[in-house]
Amino acid sequence: MAETRFMKGNEAIAEAAIRAGCRFYAGYPITPQSELLEYMGAHMEAAGGTFVQGESEVASISMVWGAACAGNRAMTSSSGPGFDLKQEGIAYLASYEAPAVVVSMMRYGIGGGDITAGQDSYLQAAKGGGNGDYRLLVLCPNSVQECVDFTYQAFDLAEKYRNVVLILGDGAVGQMMQNVVLPDYVEPNINRYDWVIKGRAAGEKKNKATNLNWYMGDRPWEAHIREKLHRMQEQEQRWESYLVEDAELVYVAIGVSSRVAKQAVKMGRAKGLKLGLIRPITAWPFPRKAFEAVNPDVKGYMVVEMSIAGQMLEDVYGATQFSKPAYCCCTGIDIPVAEDVLARAEQALRGELEPEVAL
Amino acid sequence: MIQTLRKPDRIVQPCGFCGGCGHGVIQRLIAECLEELGISDRAINCVDIACCFWTLDGMDLDGIAGPHGRLPAVATGIKKTRPDDIVYIHAGDGASYTIGIAETVHICLRDVPVTMIVVNNGVFGMTGGQMSLGTTLLGQATTSTPRGRNESSNGSPGDFLQALSQFDFEFAARGALYSVKEINRTKQLIKKGFQNQMEKKGFSLIEVLSACPTNWHLSPVAANKRVEEVVAAQFPLRVYKDRGGMSDG
Ligand SMILES: Cc1ncc(C[n+]2csc(CCOP(=O)(O)OP(=O)(O)O)c2C)c(N)n1
Ligand code: SF4
Ligand SMILES: [Mg+2]
Repeated sequence: MAETRFMKGNEAIAEAAIRAGCRFYAGYPITPQSELLEYMGAHMEAAGGTFVQGESEVASISMVWGAACAGNRAMTSSSGPGFDLKQEGIAYLASYEAPAVVVSMMRYGIGGGDITAGQDSYLQAAKGGGNGDYRLLVLCPNSVQECVDFTYQAFDLAEKYRNVVLILGDGAVGQMMQNVVLPDYVEPNINRYDWVIKGRAAGEKKNKATNLNWYMGDRPWEAHIREKLHRMQEQEQRWESYLVEDAELVYVAIGVSSRVAKQAVKMGRAKGLKLGLIRPITAWPFPRKAFEAVNPDVKGYMVVEMSIAGQMLEDVYGATQFSKPAYCCCTGIDIPVAEDVLARAEQALRGELEPEVAL
Repeated sequence: MIQTLRKPDRIVQPCGFCGGCGHGVIQRLIAECLEELGISDRAINCVDIACCFWTLDGMDLDGIAGPHGRLPAVATGIKKTRPDDIVYIHAGDGASYTIGIAETVHICLRDVPVTMIVVNNGVFGMTGGQMSLGTTLLGQATTSTPRGRNESSNGSPGDFLQALSQFDFEFAARGALYSVKEINRTKQLIKKGFQNQMEKKGFSLIEVLSACPTNWHLSPVAANKRVEEVVAAQFPLRVYKDRGGMSDG
């Protein structure tokens, strides 16, 4: 039975994970996502699962690597420098194509950075971060309901592709409170896949959770990974488009910035300005298909992002094959304000802005 | 009585260890213990990314490898998922006492019912014999301390097993492999570690002093003599803690 509750984004992710059958969570506290860990600490045991407060993010993702290979639906979460430390274990998960769900609620800044919302870990999330040629399937919620829905789907997607799924939010989405509809409980079966590691009788084929190329052969493994990534690229592009068919300028934004950009579109339209919005729901695969429906005479795109130099810009240029100018509305540590985002679009449309150079 | 020696049934291919290496003996002891206790069908092998990695394929068990030093955390994830399986770790001293010391400390603190075997050969064997900060002895030449480890620039080694045994977990003991007697005693320690898991007791940590003839640049015989005469003098062979009360006889 569907249930409605008033929740924070961070808590909603945790609750949705438990309902999706996640029975192992390990994490290390870091603002602005500690409520997720605390929620797991409060509720995981009652669901029959394991909550571990890890000694570090490195240890936590290593526990997830073990739990996932043993067949559990496993999850960890972090932000900023904590997400940096997850990369080792994420790469190990990728090496065996073990499914798991990782959450990064981005905070702003480099190194220690700040504890408030940011979107400047986009490249690290969308392009990888650990060693080797893998990708994460990256889902970007911009509401508390999407925190629930994407987390719930994430476990199925992770298993469908045998790939880590990353929930990429930001501090603002994590802290936001809304009413949400919660889905039903799924009970996991840890033996449902033939690749899991467990005790086995003599004579049974054994699984070795490590680099798959050693068992598949290098060339077949490379072909297999290439095929999978292309299949995901083709099948998993997700986005929301808003008024792009006749737009003269289209914002591109995720998370909290996409909420503000949508507001700017509405305000612009009220003044007669033809603005639109593409909101990538998947940061990888980047929704290039979304750009096909845009007005062919669009004058340009504008990335709205809490970063310094525009991290999503190169994806926008890639999607448009550099056929249109792209601009940035980078607000750094500040959450964008609709009036400013609108003013920036007006400047671009008046020809007062140089197109932004992708670094 | 005449006994025929045979290969334990869960060792299925030749190991890649150098001649005289302790890792291979430890692998055999593990396989024998699993077989004798009748728990081979439940066992999962967690190996570090180091010389112990050879056992991943050598053992006819499901297994998992790495990350370097993180196996206590990895094994925690597995044991919490499959509490009825027998989860053991085969790792080196560098993994367990240096890069992964936080993970080792915390599996002790959490007292997770896992059996961990630490192979103390005093060097980073896999990467060519560099200093292992926790265990390389003062004066010992390694590829990263070619003039011998000196205290002022490298600090001193320490008895991590003894230090860890202050924490509240099930079992901590150190064995060696330089004689048949010590090999048999080490086997009893490993077996005890597995029995603890079968009885749903807590965490068991067994350190084994082991020779690395290749990186010590000694013959297997001389390397074992060094373990007996030099290494064991620094790292005493005994049971450090046993909540269940194993005698140290
Ligand atoms: C993160 C990381 N750092 C470094 C290495 C390289 N490396 C592999 S094994 C090893 C040291 C192994 O020493 P020890 O744990 O004592 O095992 P031994 O080979 O001596 O049994 C190192 C440094 C690695 N694989 N991963
Ligand atoms: S390098 Fe040393 S530890 Fe590694 S297999 Fe050879 S003897 Fe054993
Ligand atoms: Mg070593």
